[in-house]
Amino acid sequence: MLDVHDLSPLVRRWSKHSDLSAQDRDAILALPFTRKVFGKDAYVVREGQETTDCTILLKGFAFRQKLLRDGGRQIISFHIPSEFVDLQNGLLGVADHNVQSLNRCEMAIVPRSALMDLTASNPEIRLAVWIDTLIDASIFREWVVNVGRRDSRARIAHLLCELVFRLKRSGAGQNGFFDFPLTQEQLADATGLTAVHTNRTLQSLRRDKLIKLNSGMLTVLDWEALCEAGDFDELYLHQQV
Amino acid sequence: MTTSQDHPLQYLLRQLELYSDLPDQDRRLVLELPYRLRRLDAGSYLVREGDKPTQCMVLASGYAYRQKVTGDGSRQILAVCIPGDAVDLQNMFLDVSDHSVQLLTAANVADVSRETLQELVLSRPAIGTAIIQLTLVEASILREWVVNVGRRDARERIAHVLCEFAVRLESRGLTADHGFELPMTQEQLADATGLTSVHVNRVLKGLEADGLISRQRRHIHFADWRALQDAGDFSRRYLHISDHDTLAQTY
Repeated sequence: MLDVHDLSPLVRRWSKHSDLSAQDRDAILALPFTRKVFGKDAYVVREGQETTDCTILLKGFAFRQKLLRDGGRQIISFHIPSEFVDLQNGLLGVADHNVQSLNRCEMAIVPRSALMDLTASNPEIRLAVWIDTLIDASIFREWVVNVGRRDSRARIAHLLCELVFRLKRSGAGQNGFFDFPLTQEQLADATGLTAVHTNRTLQSLRRDKLIKLNSGMLTVLDWEALCEAGDFDELYLHQQV
Repeated sequence: MTTSQDHPLQYLLRQLELYSDLPDQDRRLVLELPYRLRRLDAGSYLVREGDKPTQCMVLASGYAYRQKVTGDGSRQILAVCIPGDAVDLQNMFLDVSDHSVQLLTAANVADVSRETLQELVLSRPAIGTAIIQLTLVEASILREWVVNVGRRDARERIAHVLCEFAVRLESRGLTADHGFELPMTQEQLADATGLTSVHVNRVLKGLEADGLISRQRRHIHFADWRALQDAGDFSRRYLHISDHDTLAQTY
């Protein structure tokens, strides 16, 4: 679908969980923003930084991460177009984690004050922002479970299920496959595994004919079996709110 | 001071005021919320995964934890709620609870109607802003827990959880004598850190042997607070309470 306005996908996504009037939709589309392109692996937000903007992902993939003192990295979530990548930081004032582009990304940078003014004067939009942050938190909870209590095969399968489910909801994957630019190292950092372990797990999911993954394209061959392998239940994504 | 402190919603109000300057009228509206106080036993469920919440509960006393159970029956603890926490602000605008909340100890719980609270936060922007911030801080703690179980070793995980607990309790004036009463069993600590209880036991002994903590039953005393923070790779930024260090003194 060709969007006439960069923020139309955001309006469309919010309309699924919030009751936006025509006036609300216009007000969102009227948000001032600067369009910015980020290369692969660029930092969008750095931990410790005071936040003055809220950033909406327009194209590409991004992720949140934290670095450990020993240089290790834990990825905390992945983001797809039409999602805010830093509402969490933006509303708290100081970033407690980093946000990085995963591949070439286009972002709409909205001044924090403009978003604050809009939500202050508009209860439905405030609620939409709020629901977004609550769903983010629910996803974090599920990730704690994933790294805390699932084995490596379930962790990887669960992550694939979540991403496919969200991508599908956003209208991607119409041809049966998904653009999937995540490296094995990134998958490992998101699941608390080593890259070697991740590689072995992906191979076993391939061998069992649950997925096909090559040259950055992911095809799910057996969705039910993948959900079963990943102990995946979509409830936590709150798509029926 | 004592009478207002005894009001169960005073705890909620105090937390909201950490994040937002509330006009007098808003403060009054929070305290005037109708509530029902219940005394519940340890182990009671406050919320079950899949429930449609109708109440928003405030822990007037006692401790609780958020948890999920995986398909194969193992449990992961996601967060510990301490006295004064409002338990289901996370569910406030989501229609189905995605996790369960269970009491760690006996507790006094104040039930506030979810609908009444929803109306209040939407009609009073300052209250709404404060509650959004509270839930965002909870989300920040969850992010740190993903890091903790995802990338830290057993000793770091346990030391980190102990530090977090101490700083949160301190921010509400609930620590005494450089230590606190840990309301969790070793099994529960294991479920919070993705470890086994045998492993937790070994780590606690190690922390004690190294002079970082001392223990008497469930009382944990910080023998070397700085070294414990170091052992846990702990920095308090993610708790977003660094501007309120003086809180303990104002209690």
